[in-house]
Amino acid sequence: MQETSISEKRKKGISQSLVLVMMIVALAIIATSVNPKFLRIGNIINIFQQISVLGIVACGVGMLLVSGHIDISVGSQVSLMGVIIAMVIQKVLGLPEGEVAPWRQALAIPLAILITFGVGFLLGLLTGTVVVKSRANSFIITLGFLTVYHGLALLTSGGASYMLFGRFEVLGRGRIFGVIPISILFLLGIVALSYVILRYFRYGRFLYAIGGNRKAAYVSGINTDKTIIKGYIIVGLLNALAAVILISRVGSALATTGDSYALDALASVIVGGVAITGGKGTAMNIFLGVVLIGLIGNALIIMNVNPYIRDVVIGSIIIAAVTISQYTGERE
Amino acid sequence: MGKTLPKTLLFRGYPLAADVLLQARQINKSYPGVQALSNVDFDLKEGEVQALVGQNGAGKSTFIEIIAGSLRPDSGTIILEGNTFPSLDPSSSIELGIQTVHQDNQLVEELSVAENIFLYDLPTTQLGFIKYSDCDKAADALLEELGIDIRSNEKISRLSFIEKKLVSIAKAFSRKAKILILDEPTASLDKHGINILFDLIRRNAKRGLSVIYISHNLGEIFEVCDRVTVFKDGLKVGTHQVGDVSMGQIVREMIGKASESLYIRETGGQKSDKEPALRISDFHRENVVDHVSFSVHRGEIFGIGGLVGAGRTELARMIFGMDPKDSGSLILEGKDITPENPYDAIQKGVGYLTEDRKDDGLMLGRPIYENISLARFAKSTKAIMNLPEERSGTEDISAKLDVKTPSMSQLVINLSGGNQQKVVMAKWLYAGSEVLIFDEPTVGVDVGAKAEIYRMMEELARQGKIILMISSDNPELISVSDRVGVMRDKKIVKILEGDQITEENILLYSMGVDEGE
Repeated sequence: MQETSISEKRKKGISQSLVLVMMIVALAIIATSVNPKFLRIGNIINIFQQISVLGIVACGVGMLLVSGHIDISVGSQVSLMGVIIAMVIQKVLGLPEGEVAPWRQALAIPLAILITFGVGFLLGLLTGTVVVKSRANSFIITLGFLTVYHGLALLTSGGASYMLFGRFEVLGRGRIFGVIPISILFLLGIVALSYVILRYFRYGRFLYAIGGNRKAAYVSGINTDKTIIKGYIIVGLLNALAAVILISRVGSALATTGDSYALDALASVIVGGVAITGGKGTAMNIFLGVVLIGLIGNALIIMNVNPYIRDVVIGSIIIAAVTISQYTGERE
Repeated sequence: MGKTLPKTLLFRGYPLAADVLLQARQINKSYPGVQALSNVDFDLKEGEVQALVGQNGAGKSTFIEIIAGSLRPDSGTIILEGNTFPSLDPSSSIELGIQTVHQDNQLVEELSVAENIFLYDLPTTQLGFIKYSDCDKAADALLEELGIDIRSNEKISRLSFIEKKLVSIAKAFSRKAKILILDEPTASLDKHGINILFDLIRRNAKRGLSVIYISHNLGEIFEVCDRVTVFKDGLKVGTHQVGDVSMGQIVREMIGKASESLYIRETGGQKSDKEPALRISDFHRENVVDHVSFSVHRGEIFGIGGLVGAGRTELARMIFGMDPKDSGSLILEGKDITPENPYDAIQKGVGYLTEDRKDDGLMLGRPIYENISLARFAKSTKAIMNLPEERSGTEDISAKLDVKTPSMSQLVINLSGGNQQKVVMAKWLYAGSEVLIFDEPTVGVDVGAKAEIYRMMEELARQGKIILMISSDNPELISVSDRVGVMRDKKIVKILEGDQITEENILLYSMGVDEGE
């Protein structure tokens, strides 16, 4: 009896990745049959470039969700930081007409990046501390922060957009050897880092433990509050990286530029098999979830379907994935 | 005191049909695998206060629930004032005048005393508005009649604990109670509160109210009850007039024949003349744990007995640094190792196996090896885990404890209760704890695994570890412990050694006898 239950479990573990890969392949086949351009190497690279920002945000959200804590403010965080980068660059460099001192040239980008990461750290620290100290449900608390950060982004931008005038393109648009987008390397690097953290670092194990049973983790000597706050800080820092890449690619920043990443990242993570209650999930599957969600958007465009249907599809996928996991998950 | 009331005195030993208010005949109730009640006969006279006593699982609660109508008996009859019922349901039971006051307060904190009393049937106008003045007036009248000095328009949340208890009783009376069931009514009451309660019981019993009084405190029973009925393993052992029986006799009836030893230790506790290694010194928190101090030798298993609610788990959580305390220090070989929190406790070599492994012991959805290694990783300072070492280390320790599983990657949820408990134990062994607190280590564990857990505890003691074992399973305490500290009412009332460690003594001290007979 026990033997069979184990092999079933193992099968399930493998099948999670397998199902995701199969869904990706199926979607690719459908898209290709409608429009053969889908499979062009250019489009594939394009897809990965598009999902790199999403993937970086999703890795943070995914690791945090492994601990059973959610952050739905990530979209407004990215937006807010995007505005900050563009604003800093514009403040330092001025409008493109004027002459710019060389030291300003040298300073602008590093300063903008530094400030963004500083802000990312602080946003994570703030969100995490409030979630932990309030003892309230993280969904509701971060819903509040979503609104707060959105408001801050509006305040910072004054409702207008900051333009970069092509002065900061390398991270978002640059390609190595003219082929591989730099942003993809960042994505793969972050996925690899998440993999290592979740698998080899004590910290990752603590995330699983807190998601698995927070009280047991506490009794076993884990500083659960500190671990969770660190999780939110990691999310903030990854959001900062995502904002830098996003703004570099888009070339301008609005108070809403990054808003859609909250829902997409959550969708990717949940489709990727991280349990909404925590304690389950792998970096590999989070990555596959990201690919799947990114693919859906691209495939709909390539197949010439009304792109607005995308949100309907993504939303439905979240609902379906959570429902399925409720019915297939272990019960006590 | 054992003052009996005139009416019961008059009919002592000669129960007349008119005198008996409630009779239960041949009540049976079984749950899968357990006969909770077998052929129980019971009678309650008018104006009588009758105590129900018995160990956990003796069947008291099941019986009460059948009388209150929340459980259906498998067979038997209930005769109330000459009317025969095969079973009752909650509403008809209340209709017939049976009222239960539960141990925990079931009042609505944000409503007034009057609203709570009449919550089931608030007087309303024709339009459905509540007539507060009528409600308050009726409540005032009722409270006065009962001799309870509380204003009816006061909010429940502003009342003291005893006042809330009195309101619960008034609420029961508001529905014309003839029989009042009081479940552990004095739990958490101080002496003053108990006096008020007893006064209320006595006065109303004199007016003809019958009371079924469930308590673990024999002293109280001898003070306020007329008769006492003893339950044991689903059987009624007997009913006595309290004046005709001693506490010792009641305890002996609760125990029944001495149960055979669960486990025979290979080695007795090391009777070293050395100084005790661990001193638990003056652990105290107002109303939770009352100045507890004792010492334990290396290699000793120190049992902590007592009834549920005596403060044992609270003490353990305080020692482990989980709960706040007003005072208390833990001294290991002269060094102060008082933990400030669980993390600190683990650094200092203290481990705590909690009483509810599913609640705060295990990550059920994670593999065995992760559960075992968790506390050790929490203790270590290395950021990167040594996975091969974890593999072999957790495998070794689970082999030693004989955790029955085909693989260490098995999720803990798929293990039996006994094997789950071994995994929790393995966690603390792997963390290298010197001081181990086991809280109910064999709850929900099968007999085979029990013996293995005892063997492991003995082995740990032999290695010189210091073990505290909280247990409600008295035969377990007797067969495993070197000494047993009995807790009652938030303090250790007696430390039993050697031949003194008997089920009878543990129960006697748990239930309120201060010195042996």
